[in-house]
Amino acid sequence: MRVVPSICTFCGVGCGLGLRVEDGRVIGVEPQPGHPVSQGQLCSKGWATSFAIEPYKRLTEPMIKEHGGFRPASWDEALGRIAEEFRAALDQQGPGGAGVISCARATNEDNYAAQKFARAVLKTHNIDHCARICHSPSVAGLARTLGSGAMTNSIADIDVADLILVIGADVTENHAMIGARMLRAQARGATLVVVDPRKTRLARLADIHLQVRLGSNIALLNGLLQIIFANGWENRAFLEARCEDIQPLRQYLAGLTPEQTSAATGVALADLQRLALLYSHAKAAFTAYGMGITQFQSGTNNVIAVSNLALVCGQIGRPGTGINPLRGQNNVQGACDMGCLPNVYPGYQEVADPAVQAKFAAAWASELAQAPGLTSQGMLKAAQAGELRALLIMGEDPLLTDPDQNQVARAFAALDFLVVVELSLTETAKCADVLLPAAAFAEKDGTFTNCERRVQRIRQAIAAPGLARSDWQILAELAQRMGYPGMAWADAEEVFDEMAGLTPIYSGMTYAALDAQHGLQWPCDAAHPQGTVILHEQSFPLGRGRLLPVTQVAPDECPDVEYPFAFTTHRLHFHYGGGSMTRKSPLLERETPAGLLFMHPADALKLGLHDHQGLRVSSRRGYLETRVQLSDDVPPGTLAMPYHFQEAPCNRLTNSAQDPISKMPELKACAVRVEPLPPGQAPSAQAGSREVEHARL
Amino acid sequence: MHAYKLDQPERLRAHLALQHRLYEVRDDGQGGQHWQVVSAQDFSAFEPAAEPPPFSAKSFFFAERELLFRFDGGQFYSALPAVVPQVLFGLHACDLQAVAYQDRFYAADPHYQARRRATLLVGVDCLHSCTGGFCSIVDSGPAVREQSADLILLPRQDAAADWLLLVASEAGHAALRGLRLPVAADDWQAERSANQACVAAEQEPQQEIVDGIVSLNDGRIAAATWEALGLRCLGCSGCTTVCPTCSCYAPRDRLGAPDSMQRERVWDSCLYQGFQKEASGHNPSATSGQRVQRFWSHKFGDGFKAQFEAYGCVGCGRCDRVCPGGIGVHGVMQRVAQS
Repeated sequence: MRVVPSICTFCGVGCGLGLRVEDGRVIGVEPQPGHPVSQGQLCSKGWATSFAIEPYKRLTEPMIKEHGGFRPASWDEALGRIAEEFRAALDQQGPGGAGVISCARATNEDNYAAQKFARAVLKTHNIDHCARICHSPSVAGLARTLGSGAMTNSIADIDVADLILVIGADVTENHAMIGARMLRAQARGATLVVVDPRKTRLARLADIHLQVRLGSNIALLNGLLQIIFANGWENRAFLEARCEDIQPLRQYLAGLTPEQTSAATGVALADLQRLALLYSHAKAAFTAYGMGITQFQSGTNNVIAVSNLALVCGQIGRPGTGINPLRGQNNVQGACDMGCLPNVYPGYQEVADPAVQAKFAAAWASELAQAPGLTSQGMLKAAQAGELRALLIMGEDPLLTDPDQNQVARAFAALDFLVVVELSLTETAKCADVLLPAAAFAEKDGTFTNCERRVQRIRQAIAAPGLARSDWQILAELAQRMGYPGMAWADAEEVFDEMAGLTPIYSGMTYAALDAQHGLQWPCDAAHPQGTVILHEQSFPLGRGRLLPVTQVAPDECPDVEYPFAFTTHRLHFHYGGGSMTRKSPLLERETPAGLLFMHPADALKLGLHDHQGLRVSSRRGYLETRVQLSDDVPPGTLAMPYHFQEAPCNRLTNSAQDPISKMPELKACAVRVEPLPPGQAPSAQAGSREVEHARL
Repeated sequence: MHAYKLDQPERLRAHLALQHRLYEVRDDGQGGQHWQVVSAQDFSAFEPAAEPPPFSAKSFFFAERELLFRFDGGQFYSALPAVVPQVLFGLHACDLQAVAYQDRFYAADPHYQARRRATLLVGVDCLHSCTGGFCSIVDSGPAVREQSADLILLPRQDAAADWLLLVASEAGHAALRGLRLPVAADDWQAERSANQACVAAEQEPQQEIVDGIVSLNDGRIAAATWEALGLRCLGCSGCTTVCPTCSCYAPRDRLGAPDSMQRERVWDSCLYQGFQKEASGHNPSATSGQRVQRFWSHKFGDGFKAQFEAYGCVGCGRCDRVCPGGIGVHGVMQRVAQS
């Protein structure tokens, strides 16, 4: 038995774990005692790691689709085919004709390679990843108000906060070690406030739960600010020293009344006043938020509203405070940092900046496209319009996780050529023309960046199964075949060093320095060789913080006569993303049925439904069949579904209406109707899946 | 028991490592501690850990994942583990008590017994309490029981004095062959009693554990108390994973070529909702509170104590450390004792 220190791959918290290796396989894990983030604990997903990555049901060799089925192929043949097809797409369509969707579960090294491949080899900025559908509004919103879009403080700040405000995040389920830390803070006397339309576990344990109406975040945050201004509770010293003119915001909110806020949000007047008082008077208020802020067509403005509240009360730039977006995937922060976004190079260096363009053109010895690229949603639209012909997807499963599944399926079907690099045969992988086997995190070296900007090392513990390889190795080989020699790295460390040399916020990092102290938090450079625990202590990247008035916007689709229920999506503690890893654990898989719809018992009574009854759920975009689970987690009139299950893919129902600034689709709110299945009829996974089936051909 | 003087425990360790694969808990330099193989040529100092290691000896016998059998379409093939003689060197009394508990549970399990029979257990008495431990309250330590080990190391309060080595079994006696040790004249019984009193004093009365056990067995705890605890249980399986007496497993079938399959067993957790769920959907422990209650009843219930002649909790405190919900043994017993 060897124990290899690594980092958990199941969310953005970045817990330290040890891989227990015996006879060349990971048979279990253990928490790293004394790890600064996880403090010797893990969640159910972390404990189940060994199942997620085992060779059973993994892809072990390249595959090429022929006559609707896959056949094994050599790396040589598979990569040759890909190079040929990408060249053909570029010849036909120009540099916009191909794109790459990178992976928030892969390492920084893999992601650096992905964007370099897109930019230096394909000559396009068509590079994006699933941050688009989780925290793109955080990046866009906080860039506008502060100048930097990452968590401003650190997870350990929870220990010194005296008020913790959680908005739209199911923390004990999805970021369990942060949730645990919040509960410990509450036990030592901090006040815990949860804002969520669902009665989550944390909401039930909180001192205050504001059960807001789905999609009324801005109304709530504006309303709190109006009460704060009306009572003179704003932090005048902070505003004078650190922020731009407060007057436009103050004037904009002056027209509001607490009664209006209460009516718009469904929150009682007294609760609004209590929270406004507590938040503005707290010595240190730690604000955390999740998809319940970002996944709306008003996502960027929601983030700005959070920022306004923190700035007006001066709850930023000090220990125990901050605006803290909780990132979903283990390396979604890193994939953003690496520039897997269509408008920035690594380290958020703007594509639009000629000096930046010149820097990368010289470093990579390559001509580079001038215009920014397409987002992931943009690439799918372009595919349907016949403008994007070839797409490479690394380890993501948009067919399950993106909104409006049928629209995604139509985009896949319209592509000339789809390459998927994956661990296992996901729903998206089934649609590929060429399928490449990837190494899992225990099978390679590299780094992950967690949500508090901490860059941590992962280490190869076992060999990859069969012919599987690291993503960066695959991309490097492909680049070589397409005539670009600039990606011939010897190992992951060499990729990291090249990246750090071009990325100012990572410039002070080396593998040796990361090894020495459970990672380093960016910015880490010559001026901050030990990294940065708290951002914005003296000033903001923009100089002064900006307070931008924002208006409540209702969800694009609200309940009506035809589709009478509000519908939202969420995650369960036991599963991660599309379930391709967690559902390999027999224990986690046993915990929940493969697909379920949460409904308040009062709604079930009205409709005459009983617990676990089969039903059809329809929206304007598609339908599916599943079983109902009665629960007062949701309020009457609102239904919720987790998105982990291909058998009942809730994203067949969700709406792709977008935030105009960040292009975030409105995954959190749409309208549906339900119809019971005849008694005794079990839900069918095939119901409503015609377009998905077509995309697999 | 025979008692010998032992100038250096490292000498005993090297002697045992000649004939066995010997494991000892070592620091990994990253804040972690693991059972690691120590060779006969390794003379680095033996320092009994002040805290129990993150993982007890459980997985040496009850493997976290193991193949039970293969089926090739026509025939079943058993998959008994290949074993080599091994020594676990420096086990604390609590973890040895847990091995004794598991020995009873798995008395008829060939996989467990194959590994167990090949193992020599070398215990070490604790002179001081670990943080959060309460072995003196559940009667599992700090002195290693004669029945639970083959050899027992007795460190001395006087650091300059020789260690003592107690021989607790035939196998222990046989393992010493070839090692010349002087017989100890010291009154080691009195010394062990004094050590025991010292650890008990350090551990303090921990009245919540004592009261909690009484309340739990009286059935005086309201369902609402259990449900309030259950709300804090994330179902992570951390407690059952690190608990040295937890012994539950789930079967896992892996299909291979047509008609062939392999059955593994993997560590399971009774805190999972699916653990007791029946095919009909009925679940005898449907709520999280019921599952928490069931777990602690197994650890402290009189019925189990009668059956195993010991509590299912050995007082190591590992569950306190890994529980994200703050409902390890102390968290639970405090609330239970108050209710």
